Amino acid sequence: MSRISGTFKSLASAGSGAYIPYVCTGDPDMEFTMELVNSLCRAGADIIELGLPFSDPIADGPVIQGAMSRALSAGFKVTRLFETVTAIRSSGLRLPIVLMTYYNPVVRMGVGAFCTRLAKAGGDAVLVVDLPIEESRELDEAAADYGLDVIKLVAPSTDDERMDRILEKTSGFAYAVSAAGTTGSREKLASSALSLLSRMRPRSQIPIAIGFGISYPDQVRQAMLAGASGVVEGSALISIYSEEKKSKALGLIEKHAREMKAATRI
Amino acid sequence: MTNGGYFGRFGGFYVPEILVRALKGLEAEYERLSVDPEFNGELNRLLRTYAGRPTPLYFARRLTERVGGARIYLKREDLAHTGSHKINNALGQALLAKRMGKSRVIAETGAGQHGVATATACALLGLRCEVFMGETDVERQKLNCYRMNLLGAKVNVVKSGSKTLKDSINEALRDYAATSDYTHYLIGSVVGPHPYPTIVRDFQSVIGRETRMQMLAETGKLPDVLVACVGGGSNSIGLFHPFVEDPGIEMFGAEAAGSGIETGHHSASVVAGTEGVLHGSRTLILQNEEGQISETHSIAAGLDYPAVGPEHAFLSKTGRAKYVGITDQEALSAFHLLSETEGIIPALESAHAISLAVIISKNLPKEKTLVVNLSGRGDKDVSQVAQLEGRL
Repeated sequence: MSRISGTFKSLASAGSGAYIPYVCTGDPDMEFTMELVNSLCRAGADIIELGLPFSDPIADGPVIQGAMSRALSAGFKVTRLFETVTAIRSSGLRLPIVLMTYYNPVVRMGVGAFCTRLAKAGGDAVLVVDLPIEESRELDEAAADYGLDVIKLVAPSTDDERMDRILEKTSGFAYAVSAAGTTGSREKLASSALSLLSRMRPRSQIPIAIGFGISYPDQVRQAMLAGASGVVEGSALISIYSEEKKSKALGLIEKHAREMKAATRI
Repeated sequence: MTNGGYFGRFGGFYVPEILVRALKGLEAEYERLSVDPEFNGELNRLLRTYAGRPTPLYFARRLTERVGGARIYLKREDLAHTGSHKINNALGQALLAKRMGKSRVIAETGAGQHGVATATACALLGLRCEVFMGETDVERQKLNCYRMNLLGAKVNVVKSGSKTLKDSINEALRDYAATSDYTHYLIGSVVGPHPYPTIVRDFQSVIGRETRMQMLAETGKLPDVLVACVGGGSNSIGLFHPFVEDPGIEMFGAEAAGSGIETGHHSASVVAGTEGVLHGSRTLILQNEEGQISETHSIAAGLDYPAVGPEHAFLSKTGRAKYVGITDQEALSAFHLLSETEGIIPALESAHAISLAVIISKNLPKEKTLVVNLSGRGDKDVSQVAQLEGRL
């Protein structure tokens, strides 16, 4: 069983879900990324999603676009991401790490080389935003060779037959995209999120984490009641630290993350 | 229609899951309509009565004499309605949108030619139209912005990234992900995820089909050489595609070498690019070692794009077509040359093709024939060139 599957299993037996914060690596610098990961872990994060900044993030809204662009301006390098994973592991943290990326940086490094390096650094899974099942064979095979899970996305517009194929192929968990559009916080959980969860839940035993627009504890509770096994939060966290002083931001984020984590316990 | 949208190892369907249903729907609808006599009848009628097709094939006598080599013919896409070949695809896809019951059309534009063509087609068919245009391009092409407004379209100024064509495509894809239930994304070149490279190629192939018939009528044989400029590559694929199966015919694409390939300030993705995935396609792109997309440069906004249509990547790898970089300076010289010898002011994009055609023609015997696609007229560029030359 992969580390991710193990995490979901023990959370489920404790009557809890997974809180999965997304961190844009290198925004605004690598030191802050490490501090942020530590704060999130103290607050009870169950899985960390590390984002690889890309120049043309077509699935992301303005907040994550801004974070990626700051990281790239600060000189982000893909090797730094693997170093961050290594550093997280050497600091003693053992929670699963998911690498979230667009496909081009993976293609550029070579799919096999990318997976080897991620696995060697201590990463657990890869999630490629712009790689639908039609195109993911090369990655699936390479990831399997190195014991990495490949997390696949399901959208409200995905029909039942396709959903079955995706759920069959995803490993670790399935990522449910709450609504049509891009990443970014929304006031309420989209109605499409609830109907998506109710369609997905009966079709597979695999844990489902829901993301896109998740930023309030109430949304987390709603999602958990609707059958989610976890929630992913990104833009809202970035908004906190990009609007506040660094010193104050980490405290605010930790407090917010505790509330989000608490809401996964139902 | 194609093998999952692949041209050899290039092309494909690299998109977020959110876009999959819309693109599969588009593929199915296009497969149905592309063989529907009523749809094709309507499109052909519009191309003829509204867009001014067929466009003339013109023997450039004075240019040929000046060069002293192969006979140069110009395929006059500059004489099509709205001033470029972009109208061929805009009309086709706008009709497609209408048939699919979409009430809103979005498009990206660089120089503004595709934006104007799309706004025109939408005005004609009564569709709501919004065009994404980078802030940098808006400043370079203010008049085209007003032109789109005049045609009833809304121009959304894109302020993300490098604020040029690639960022406009990013923004259009983001919009489409949220609105595809009622919106058609009318992409302007043979780029993007499947089925776009095929759809746009098919609508632009009218250029090559007409050229075949016109050359046969005019000279009694097919041309020896074809030349066209390549940004994303729609006018060139439109010319090349109907000739791909004729082995004797050589094809050349003129890419934008900007200030020179060696300076790094260019947009020559076939000549200087590497394999990668951008905007839904596996193709040749300009990127750094890290897989981050490079900022590009060309004097011609319509060529200023860091990737190329996947079918061009394929034609280049198989050697069926050859791609050559033409610098800003060379394009400017050709801009003057054609204006002076033929009384035709070419778009700066098309001036790249003219420049390459002159080089090729010079080295060929006089009985050979060469067709250059004159993809657009140069009125839009006159004030930019005048300013560059210190005349304005």
